[in-house]
Amino acid sequence: MPSPHEEEIKSNLVYQNLTVSVIITLISSFITKSKHMVRIPGFAGYILKKVLIYIVTFFLAFTVMFWALRLIPGDPWSRFVDNLRVLQVDPRISREFIEEYKRKFGLDKDVYTQFALYISNVFLRFDLGLSIASYPTPAQVVIMRYLPWSIGLLGICALISWSIGIVLGAFIGWKHHKKLSSAIFTIALGMSQIPYFIMAILLIMILAYGLGLFPGRWAFAPGTTPGLSLDFILSVIRHGFLPALSIMITSFLSWLVSTRALTMTILGEDYLLFAEAKGLKKIRMLNRYVLRNMILPQATGLAISLGFMVNGAYVVEWIFQYPGVGTLLVHSFLWLDYNLAQGIILMTMFSVLTANLIMDFFYPLIDPRVRTEGK
Amino acid sequence: MSELLGTLKRRVSGFISLFKRSLALRVGVALLLLLIFLAIFQPIIDQYRLEGHEATDLGYFEKFLPPSLKHPLGTDQFGRDVLGLHLTGLKFSLIVGALAGSVATLISVCTAIIAGYRGGKIDSILNGVTNSILVIPSLPILMVVAFYTRLDLVSMCLTLAAFSWPWSTRVIRAQVLSLKERTYVDLAKVSGENHFEIMFAEILPNLIPYIIVGLGFSVIGAIFAETGLRIIGLGPTTVVSLGLLIQQALQYGLLTQKRYAEIMSLVLLLMSIFISINLINKGMDEAFNPRLKKVTGE
Repeated sequence: MPSPHEEEIKSNLVYQNLTVSVIITLISSFITKSKHMVRIPGFAGYILKKVLIYIVTFFLAFTVMFWALRLIPGDPWSRFVDNLRVLQVDPRISREFIEEYKRKFGLDKDVYTQFALYISNVFLRFDLGLSIASYPTPAQVVIMRYLPWSIGLLGICALISWSIGIVLGAFIGWKHHKKLSSAIFTIALGMSQIPYFIMAILLIMILAYGLGLFPGRWAFAPGTTPGLSLDFILSVIRHGFLPALSIMITSFLSWLVSTRALTMTILGEDYLLFAEAKGLKKIRMLNRYVLRNMILPQATGLAISLGFMVNGAYVVEWIFQYPGVGTLLVHSFLWLDYNLAQGIILMTMFSVLTANLIMDFFYPLIDPRVRTEGK
Repeated sequence: MSELLGTLKRRVSGFISLFKRSLALRVGVALLLLLIFLAIFQPIIDQYRLEGHEATDLGYFEKFLPPSLKHPLGTDQFGRDVLGLHLTGLKFSLIVGALAGSVATLISVCTAIIAGYRGGKIDSILNGVTNSILVIPSLPILMVVAFYTRLDLVSMCLTLAAFSWPWSTRVIRAQVLSLKERTYVDLAKVSGENHFEIMFAEILPNLIPYIIVGLGFSVIGAIFAETGLRIIGLGPTTVVSLGLLIQQALQYGLLTQKRYAEIMSLVLLLMSIFISINLINKGMDEAFNPRLKKVTGE
């Protein structure tokens, strides 16, 4: 345990660092907005601005993480030894041994040096460092073992619920005066904000324990060996069903609700009145006018909500003990595995922010109005 | 000042007529009032039911009593009355939501009005910050904070508020942008009111429905994050919220023991919090969105 004095120094460092970060943000936003700066017109300027915001956000988020992580009392090695003792494994580690490992991981240096070293390692050598808890495996190898599960679960769920939600939402908005669609809408309205993990507990209780239809834990049956066998794949699907369902139900309903609102906004537009007056077929109007105008804001919505979905999905993974990144993150905190936790958070931020950046890039391609902005 | 009162009066009567129109709003408000009622009277209910003990006190009753008239949900592994425990959890969850939600709303109202009204550089910076916080997954950051500090109720609420304000800022800012183009703002400018007066005397009263929607978003966001953290097993043990109770229930294996009533009661309480606030939110949104009115013809 560090002394109170040490903790005080640590938190002082954090405040200094936060100030520096805020200053960096202010300067960079000043550069992008300044009138004295040569304004790059059109598409290139738009892209440049987005990339700059991306880099600043990424850097800031990561910096806050790094320092917050260093504020956790205790150091990884004493935590490691403690955890081993709890597990009744005799560590037989001398103090010199721990010191040696601290040197090896750079934990004997001050926090600034650690930060600089880490940044240079990650961005120049693409090396996340060795995992402390599962030494001597590098953190990126450990993460790569867990990452496919998370991406598979969340990616499939997000896409399915998004596409079904939009189509059904547009349809319900289109037929908004019918009894059935308003009934569906009211139910969806109430349920659309229920967290995934509450849904998960409900589903585990009913479908896994109550009816025994699906397994309520783990990603595949204990007896099966991972591989490209039919047995394994079926087991993965069966085990993945409940986590996927708990994520999909609420996110599907929330897409449905927001799409319905959008549809009804579009129905009020004059061009739709005109299309109707022209005698366009209903299905064509729905396809050409309503859905086309909806894909754009909803695609942006998908990118923005990704971070939120990750939050919920991590807790769902923990509840199901699913071998995804969320479960790994909790374990990495329990072992105070700096490199692993940083690596996971870095990957999470990176993927969510990059998804947003890609969406920003595609935005002007789909929407001609953005392309001409600033001209 | 009298104008301000007049606007408020109009708002109140507007709310009442709105209340009569929207079923979602009626159901939501009724459900939320019921939950708040239960939470407020929890100490009195406990006093009456538990012979003066606190619901969280350990070992006053036999362990694992089956449901009976005295203990409608039985007792748990520490001899605590489960119903009393759940009401306490409801109280703490609502307190966390209300506290974190109102702090977040305060932040978001200030940032949204200033950003939306002043526009320009301030707006683009604040907008950038809002979008960044919105986009990054906040749970890992909250987990780190919860691991580091021995949080208590207030510090946890402040931490939660720091990550749940951007949602309502977006709602309110969009509204400020449209409100500041209205003629009465121009009128106020011409008649020599300063920016501060325009922002808080002219624009703010007209924002009330959106502030309520924003408050709803923040409360939901805060309870969401708190419950998520507690299920993972983080956060202060003194705050006996529904999330903590769920974590204890799962940890103790109530599912394998087929004690579904307890889990169901926890899940239902949490679900009704989310459903009620969401119904209120969406009911207000439906009623106040002028573009939707065009279609529904109300």
